[in-house]
Order: sequence, then structure tokens, then C-alpha cells
Amino acid sequence: MTPTVSASGLSLRYGGTHALDDVSLRLTPGVTGLIGPNGAGKTTLLRVLATALPADGGAFTVLGQDPATSAGRQEVRRALGYLPQTPGFHPDFTPFEFVDYVAILKELTDRGARHREVRRLLEQVDLGEVRGKRIKKLSGGMRQRVALAAALIGDPGFLVLDEPTVGLDPEQRMRFRELIAQAGEGRTVLLSTHQTEDVAMLCHRVLVMAGGRIRFDGTPAELTARAAGRVWSSTERDPGAKAGWRTGTGSFRNVGLPPVGADLLEPTLEDGYLLTLDEAEVSA
Amino acid sequence: MSTVLAQTPTATGTESRRTPWAAVLALALFEARRLLLRAPMLLAFLLYIAWIVWRTPDFENGYPALQDADRATQSGPMLIALALLVCVNQAMLRSARRDTERHFAVLVLRPWQRTAGHALSVVPVVLLVAVCVGAQFGWMALGSGAVGTASVGELLVGPLTALLAGAFGVLLARLFSSVLAAPLAIVLLFFLLFGGAFPAGSGERGTRWLTPIVSENTSTAIPSGLMDRPAAWHALYLLGLALTVALVAVLVAGGRGPVLMGSVAAALALALTGGIVQTGALPDRTTVARARATNAPEKQQVCVRRDGSTYCAFPEWKPRTATWASVVDHVRSSAGGSARTQPVLVRQRVYATDGLASDGAIDPSANPHQVTVGTGWGGPRVPEFSAAVSSVLVTGSEKATSGLCDGRMVTIMWLALNWLPDPVKSLSNVRLDDSVTGSAIVLSPTNPMNMTSGQTSVVRELLDQPRESVAAKVKSHWAELTTPKVTSARAAELLGVKAPKEQDKCD
Repeated sequence: MTPTVSASGLSLRYGGTHALDDVSLRLTPGVTGLIGPNGAGKTTLLRVLATALPADGGAFTVLGQDPATSAGRQEVRRALGYLPQTPGFHPDFTPFEFVDYVAILKELTDRGARHREVRRLLEQVDLGEVRGKRIKKLSGGMRQRVALAAALIGDPGFLVLDEPTVGLDPEQRMRFRELIAQAGEGRTVLLSTHQTEDVAMLCHRVLVMAGGRIRFDGTPAELTARAAGRVWSSTERDPGAKAGWRTGTGSFRNVGLPPVGADLLEPTLEDGYLLTLDEAEVSA
Repeated sequence: MSTVLAQTPTATGTESRRTPWAAVLALALFEARRLLLRAPMLLAFLLYIAWIVWRTPDFENGYPALQDADRATQSGPMLIALALLVCVNQAMLRSARRDTERHFAVLVLRPWQRTAGHALSVVPVVLLVAVCVGAQFGWMALGSGAVGTASVGELLVGPLTALLAGAFGVLLARLFSSVLAAPLAIVLLFFLLFGGAFPAGSGERGTRWLTPIVSENTSTAIPSGLMDRPAAWHALYLLGLALTVALVAVLVAGGRGPVLMGSVAAALALALTGGIVQTGALPDRTTVARARATNAPEKQQVCVRRDGSTYCAFPEWKPRTATWASVVDHVRSSAGGSARTQPVLVRQRVYATDGLASDGAIDPSANPHQVTVGTGWGGPRVPEFSAAVSSVLVTGSEKATSGLCDGRMVTIMWLALNWLPDPVKSLSNVRLDDSVTGSAIVLSPTNPMNMTSGQTSVVRELLDQPRESVAAKVKSHWAELTTPKVTSARAAELLGVKAPKEQDKCD
């Protein structure tokens, strides 16, 4: 039984900083969320898995192919869909031209079949109506959907999405979630995000990263469960809490080690995430 | 850890996936389409086509020698070449400028393959230039007045210059990531080629052949066999150079492997071979052949007899003898005395000693009743030849016409011009200063003649008279009109027009 992506001991240093520190993971079909604070190493991990950046140490395979060899790297790239953080666009291209261009760079050479696929994907991401419009005239949300369509071209088995919902308004974000959920049907998606709601709503599995290491690997429910009995309500901010904030009702929501007799609250995935980061900080 | 699957998942992929080279070609087509639709390219093609339409019909007065017509196709494509250099350079830099490189770097096609795609994208543009060159040349060649032999090598220079510029644009983008590099390179190239910075050398061969377009400062056509321009070698040189530049760009982009290295070596060998051979010294046989054509053209010519006269031309100009005969017939028909039936020998002569750089005058022939005709035709060349024919009919030889300064000039010019569709315009054409009043030098295939103010005035008046009436007077007074020292006043009197008031002395 082989996962889509299997990595062991991946490490990468930038000067004296461990961007990746002995990262091992196995990814299977479905959407896997990757969350962590800024500088945690999420983008570095994604770029390594997307073959954009070589690791200093460790190894990984994608769909059984080893990117350490030139031939293997090409095979990985054939099976890869990549949406980089803040993707660039060719503003004078239309969405159709841009996705078609990416399709060519992915070796889709049958013009008729390629054009049908480009049209299908643009319909799928709701850009069918504007496929002939210049990208420079599209909104940020539309551009992001162009980038998603470009990542999906060639029906990749492994899709890497680096913070795809950044800068989108709530409605656009909801629409994007639908698209990512669709994309995750039958393929392996690794979704890096700062939005814990994205993870809660989309992912069958979540990785929490901090300081270049994987700090948690489990289901969203398991991450949420980490905060069970560690979230409570109080009228004042509890000084012993790891984090606390006034809610809309006027009471304080505290996360940490509750005092005896505290008014315990139902934990969220975000609570579990905060506690995981706190533990990572302590262990570091 | 995670759950795992029962078997290795695989990418479903698309069935249309093929080899990388098919993708490189698809990329080339994609980029070519964009190149052709770029505003600078469209503008350049518009100007190029306008230049063709404006320039072609009047090239060599509509009677082109194809060995000149082929070279006339070379400068227009420079416009496309410059636009191509800039546009392909910008296309190459697009992903770096628009920050798509992070994404494209993990796609299947590698940077060197993308570079190859960009290099190939210039080929459709080059083919379009070739079509334009073909159309321009075809327009000239299919005209009824065309003669001579074209060189495929010369015709290839325009498209190959565009190819070289495109390849250079690709390489430039690989070496410099700024879009300013291409315009700066163009400025530098202009300085190099036209600012005298390039070591052009002297003579017909030498380093001037290292520039893409090797022009000639001549307006006189010479037989193609005497030109000896190394056009085929030059085309080979340009092709080799363009391929070398494009392949070096692929190398710089990370391309490796024996096929690529072998291709670079082969392209370089082509460029060096063409470059070295084309700059070699002019063969002695060419110098000898040119001297022979200049001094003893009869040894290389074919002659045709028509109505008792003989027309001798270099073989490539043989189709034009009928046109010359028509001029002789027209002039003779208005002449009188024995001149009406006087057979003449029309011999084509050319000063070809220095090849296309020749700028020497042809001496008038001392042979009786021999008329010289040049290699050009149409426009002013027709009244010039007509004047040469009439002068020989009046004076007996070209040599005798030299220094002619009397009233015979009236008869000569009327005979030469009266039968032409617009005699006054032809008078203007045949005079050096394009005037129709006052004194002037009258051009002819050999030495020029002088026309005084008085003669001009009489001829103008005669050209306003009914042709038949003047012709009758010319015939009846032929003997006196062709007598040396006859004055212009007497000629006017004999021909029934007012005597000139203007000066009647030659300058």
C-alpha cells in the first residue's frame, strides 16, 4: 500500500535557519491541510515537493517517482499541479491563452484535445464567460481561479496549493473552497493555508508545521480534540490562559490550562492549532 | 500517520501527451501566433508591405534586371527583423517580468526547451517575410520588361536577416534580463553597421560581407555573370550564424547533450565556411570577363537582325532588342534622305570593369551608324536612346555627335522626341536638370550632348506642331538640316517656326 507522496527526513537550511528539519510525511488522496505560522516552512515544503527547490537531505517520491533523478523529476512534474503563493500572470493573455500556455508546458500537444480541456476547466472554475477577456481586466478572485485552472490542467494526480484563498473576499473564498473540494475528489491535494476554517471545511487530514518540523499529523477532529477541556469562558481574561479574547457576548474565551471549576466550552480546530503551536514553542 | 491506499495512485493524465519536441513545436506555434499579433510586428509588416507597394512598380523604371531586383528585396525585411528582435526578446522575458517563472519552472518543459520553442517561433515570421520577398520579386519578375537572372542566395538574405535578428533576440534575453537590452542592441548595431564602426574594408569582397545586407552603390545593371557576388555563400553564412546564435541561446538555457553540441558545431562550421569563402578575393577570371565585356562586348553578345538593322545584346537582354528596334523604327520613320532606310547597328555596351561599383562613362563609338544602348530601360532611358539613334542618323556616328553645337541639334531632338507619348515630359527627362527651357545637357548612353536656349525654344515649338506636318518638312529639307554648321535660326526657318530669340551658343 503506497501513498501518493512519501517523504522521509527532508531537511533544508537557509544559512543558519532550518527551513525544513527532518520532515517525514505520507499523503493520500483527498485534501490535506498544511497550517502553521509565517516562517514555519510551509512554502518551502511545498516548493520541495513541487520540485521547485531541492532539499539538502532526505528523500521523497510522488506517485512512485523519485525526483532526485532527472527522469524521475520529469515524471513527477507530469503528475503535478502547482498553484504558487501569489501566482504571477501574463496580463495580456486571456484566461484561455494562459491555461493553454501552461498546458503546452505540461506537454499537452494535441491542440484539439488541449483546447477542449482548457475550455472544460475554465467552465469548471466559472470563467467560461470571461475566457476571452484579458487577465489584466479580471478581479483578484477571477485571477486566482485562472491559476487554479492552470494547476488543474493535465489532470494531475498531486495538486499543491499554496495559500490559494489569500486576499479573497468571503464569497470568493466559499466558491474557491467548492473548487478545491471538487479538485480533491480522486486526487491528492496538499493545501497550505492560514485559514483554519478552510482546513475544517475541506480537509480529511491536517498537518501543523512550526520551526521547519511537522508538529501534528492527524484528522481535523483529532486536532480539535487536542483542545478538549482546555477552552473555557470567564468574565475577565484569565491571566493563566495561553490565549484569551473577548467574544461578541462580552465574556472571555480562554485557551490553555483551565482553573478548577471553569466554565468549559466546546473547542474548535483553531483552539487545537493554537495549543499545538504553544506546545511546539515549549518543546523548542 | 495517514491511511494508505491499496495500490499506488497514478496520475490520470491526458491521452494527448506526447514527446517533449511535440510540446516545443506547440509552444513555438503558440508564441509565433502571439508574435505575429504584437503591435510592433503588425506595424512593421504594414510598413513593409507599403514599402513594397510603393517601391516595386517603379523599380528600374519598370524594366528591372533581375540580378538587381533580387537585391532590391533585402532592405525591407530589416524593418521586420528589428521588430522581431524586440518582440521575441520581450516574449522570452515575459515569465521573468510577470513572475510566472516560479510556476513554469515546475512544469514539464525545461527552460532550454522553452528557449528552443521561442527560437522556433520566429520561423513562421521568417516564412512570412519569405512570402513577401517572393511576392515583391515575383511582381518585378513577371513584368513584361524584366530581364536577367536572379540569385536565390540574394533572395534569401531578407528572410535570413529576420531569422538572425530573431535568434539574436532570444540569445539576448538569455544573457540580459532587461527589456532595454534589445533596443540598446539595435542602437549599437546601427552604430556598428552605419556609423562606420564596422571594419567594412575596401573593394568588392572583404569584411563588408560579414554584415547581413551587402549593398552596392550603383545604378547600372551589368550581366549577372560579371557580378560574382558570393550570394549563396553569404546566405549560408547568415543561416549558419542564425543557427549558431539560436543554439547558443539553448545552451545558455541549460540545454546539453551530444545532439545539441553537434548541432552547434555544425552551425558554427556553416557560418565559418560561408563567412570565410564570401570574404575571399575576387577570382581573376571575373576581372578578365569584366574587362572583356567592357572593351569587347561583341564577343559575349547575341545579335538579332530586324528590318536590315542589327541589334546586339548581352544574352540576358536579348528579349529587349524588339523594344530597341521599335525606337529605331519610330525615329527613322520621321527622318529624311538615306537615313530613312539607313541600317544601324545597335550594340549594348556596359562599363563593368569594377563590377557593380563601376561608375565609368562609355566612350562614344567611332563606328559609322553604330548606336550604343545601355542596360537600363524605361523612363528617361527611352528618350536618351532615341536621342542617340537620331544623332547617329543625323551625324553618321556617335563620335561625330560629340561636341556638336549647331542647328542639327534641333533635328536630332525633334526626331528623338516627337513620336513619344508625352514629348515635352520626355524632353524634361532627357535633360540633366529636368528643365524644358534654357540651355541644358542632354543625356545619352555615351557622352552627353549640349542643347542651347535657342535650340530648346525651337524644339519646344516644333513639338507643339502637328507631327506629320513637321515630319514632311524634315524630310524635304533633310540635306540642309543635317549639314554641319546649320544654325538653329535656319533650322527653325526650314521647319516653319519662329527663329529663336534666345542665346544660340553652347555652354
